[in-house]
Amino acid sequence: MNALSLLPANIIDICGSGLAIFLSFMALRYSRILVKIEPNNFIWGFLFYFCVAMAAFSLSRGVGHIARILLVFSGYGAFWKQLSPYSGGFNTMLIISTAAVTIYYHKGLDAYKAIRSEAEKLSDANTRLFASATELKLLNTHLEEIVEERTRNLSKSEKKLRNFFENSKDIIYFCDELGYLSSVNSSGRRLLDIDESLEKVSFFDLFVNKDDRERYVGELKKNGFVRDLEIECKGRDGSIRNILFTSNTVYDENNNMVGCEGIGKDMTRLKTITDQLINREKMASVGEMAAGVAHEINTPLGIILGYTQLMMDDYEQGSEAYTNLEVMERQTKACRKIVADLLKFSRQAESVKTALDINALIEEVLAVTEHSLNIEQVEVIRHFSPELPQVTGDTEKLRQVIINLCNNAQYALAEKGGGQIIISTQENQDTVQITVMDTGTGIPDEIKNKIFDPFFTTKAVGKGTGLGLSVIYGIIQEHGGTITVESPVNDPKTGKEINGTAFHIRLPLSAAADSTTRENT
Amino acid sequence: MKMLSTIRHTGLFIVALLLVPDHAWALQPHGAPEGLYVHQMSHVLFTGALIYLYWHTRRTPELSNKGWHYLQLFCILFAGWNMLALVGHESARLLNPSDFIDKASWNEQVAGPITPIKMVYFITKMDHLLYVPALLALVIGLRSLSKDAQREADK
Repeated sequence: MNALSLLPANIIDICGSGLAIFLSFMALRYSRILVKIEPNNFIWGFLFYFCVAMAAFSLSRGVGHIARILLVFSGYGAFWKQLSPYSGGFNTMLIISTAAVTIYYHKGLDAYKAIRSEAEKLSDANTRLFASATELKLLNTHLEEIVEERTRNLSKSEKKLRNFFENSKDIIYFCDELGYLSSVNSSGRRLLDIDESLEKVSFFDLFVNKDDRERYVGELKKNGFVRDLEIECKGRDGSIRNILFTSNTVYDENNNMVGCEGIGKDMTRLKTITDQLINREKMASVGEMAAGVAHEINTPLGIILGYTQLMMDDYEQGSEAYTNLEVMERQTKACRKIVADLLKFSRQAESVKTALDINALIEEVLAVTEHSLNIEQVEVIRHFSPELPQVTGDTEKLRQVIINLCNNAQYALAEKGGGQIIISTQENQDTVQITVMDTGTGIPDEIKNKIFDPFFTTKAVGKGTGLGLSVIYGIIQEHGGTITVESPVNDPKTGKEINGTAFHIRLPLSAAADSTTRENT
Repeated sequence: MKMLSTIRHTGLFIVALLLVPDHAWALQPHGAPEGLYVHQMSHVLFTGALIYLYWHTRRTPELSNKGWHYLQLFCILFAGWNMLALVGHESARLLNPSDFIDKASWNEQVAGPITPIKMVYFITKMDHLLYVPALLALVIGLRSLSKDAQREADK
């Protein structure tokens, strides 16, 4: 190859220079847009300055190249020679400037990132602060309403619980680990007769049996609760009550027992009714058995008595055989009396019921027995209701009731060397109430529920058969009445509690008397 | 006393300097090739800066969208142009006026025989074939970035 034409290179040089100027300014324009969109963005700022340098460089270089070609090729080479160092120097300066901008860009970028990170944190914090402030403002605005509503709800709830606590018919109590009551409702105070400061009342002291205390505390400690534990409690007034306890242990934050809380249900009435039912059933069973035995024994006894009396006709009075037959006759009669009593108790004996005046009946009995009572230093006091209505009953049997009660009273007073028997009658609703009270030794609680049992007696052997109260019970039941026992009793004069026993008999009014009474009212 | 002694010694030294004058060479002279050397060094510096910019944008996760890819292409192309220009300047320096025919005219030619230096000069003379695409990549990149930024601002 001899020569290479530089014409294509020069044309490319001119066109390229022009295009380079145009493109560099286009780049400058776009970088300018970026800066306008985000003036605080460092990267866009860097690109803008970079493009400024590039545009200046392209302009300087492009103009230089075009000028060189035009001047040199037009014969002005000398002029270009003078201009050339300035153009070259300017280009060099711009290249270095652009390089410097680029080299230091990363430091600026790091600083920008750090600032932006802090700004974002600050912005987040501000956002959170604003949200908190808004929430606080809202809360503050509604705080009063919220407090008021919660107070109202709390008060309502407290009132509900307080009413439940106070109005409950069961005992609701709270006590500490030593058993001292810290709080007890009004039912508890009433049932257990607590009227003093609660700090002085030990819950466990109300238990009659000390074993119950150990059982109660033991279950609380072991299980953390007590369920349906029936305990006999003694109120401050001395009355015994059967309470069914359900209780929970109260623990502190360290799970140590600090007390207990619970509910106690008074089962006394239910227990009494249950005992009465059991007793009634027992008496009915015993009555049936006694009736059967009495019927079977009565006939042989009649035959024995008949033959004994026939044999007595064969011997002379005063002979040894006659005397022996007399003993046999007496003892057989005693046996027949027992059998007759058993039949009365079992309501098997025949009755002739008429309308009768109880006051008159009692006076008839006292007319016979009062003399012997007075000999025994027993004073009989009468408190008869003058307007006492009549009752329907068997005169003989009711007379025996009064005789038996007087005999028992006499026996009780004989142990004390005398006393009083107070007999009172009164109309009580649809019944006539007869009370026979003595100031004797009284009946211990342990035997109260046994006194009406046949053959139960506290008398010495041979002094009584144990059928007196059983016969009374049978007769009163036959008359549709009730008999209850009270011991000890209240002195009618002083009102104080004294030793003694009172039997209260209630007999229904006769139909005629009842209708008369209703007409009168 | 000590201060007076110091002033006296300093004064004597200045007087001695004034009494014995010689060539000072206060300013360094700059010869003709210095401008070319500086220019060549500026190309090297610019190449380094562009390679650094390319490397940094590649490893920065925030700068990974389409616009930045075009900017990275610009860095590569423009660094290449700088190297080409450096080689072109060197080749021009090695040629003599006798290597050209009809110099300073539109018919200007590189005289034969065509040596590698002359061929390199001829090729590097057409450096705009690299320069213009580099700027085009810069424009496309910035246009893409500006559109993204505008879209983000409009949200």
